[in-house]
Amino acid sequence: MNKLAVVITTPPFSNLSVTALDYIETALKAEVELVGVFFYQDGVMHANTNVQIASDEFQAISHWQRLHQAYKLPLHLCITAAEKRGISDEHAQNIHSIFTVSGLGELVELSSMADRMVQF
Amino acid sequence: MANSSIKTLAILNAKAPYANLAGKDALDIALIFGSFEQTVSLFFQGDGVWQLIQGQNGSIISIKDYLKTFAAFEFYDIEDVYVCQASLAMRNLPAKFHIEEVQVLNQQEFAHKLTSHKTILRF
Repeated sequence: MNKLAVVITTPPFSNLSVTALDYIETALKAEVELVGVFFYQDGVMHANTNVQIASDEFQAISHWQRLHQAYKLPLHLCITAAEKRGISDEHAQNIHSIFTVSGLGELVELSSMADRMVQF
Repeated sequence: MANSSIKTLAILNAKAPYANLAGKDALDIALIFGSFEQTVSLFFQGDGVWQLIQGQNGSIISIKDYLKTFAAFEFYDIEDVYVCQASLAMRNLPAKFHIEEVQVLNQQEFAHKLTSHKTILRF
């Protein structure tokens, strides 16, 4: 009765990624059931393997990988938004393997499962 | 469903149409929730009010006119469309919209209506 869904619409080079990851990790540590994270708009760039962030800057992808591994956190990628930004599932090497290729129907699913949905 | 409580989604539009994808991205979410019979309300505030103003033609600037799809809201059971009166007044825009059933609310009513929803997504 305490389920959370998160929507990410900001790119990995946005500071909101830091806020989102802090929020998610805090929720997971507090044993909030996180039903999934949905990546939409520029948020889909988190899944792009070609994105290179300078090594002295915040590496959002390493945190997604860590949380995905530690908590089996589902990470859903809106493929329509991704394809607009050059990320296609026809070239699987372009998408980090921790992401599940999804569509907006998955957002409806997450929304109906969750008691609360938060956007960053 | 986690529980039987009604899940209502508010989509807050605060950007003008055409310059970016925000309005279209918001519309796509509204339509998919509508087609899954999930309750969804649309709010227009700030430059977002331009999305409702009649007489626009995106094709002049080679943009697909997604605003035309607003006319299909009733087929998706999207009945709650709200616009901020202060945002209209600030832009000297008349309350004349390209779809019917738009409710003009003052700032207090707008805020109250918005926060009565369980979830707010902002575009």
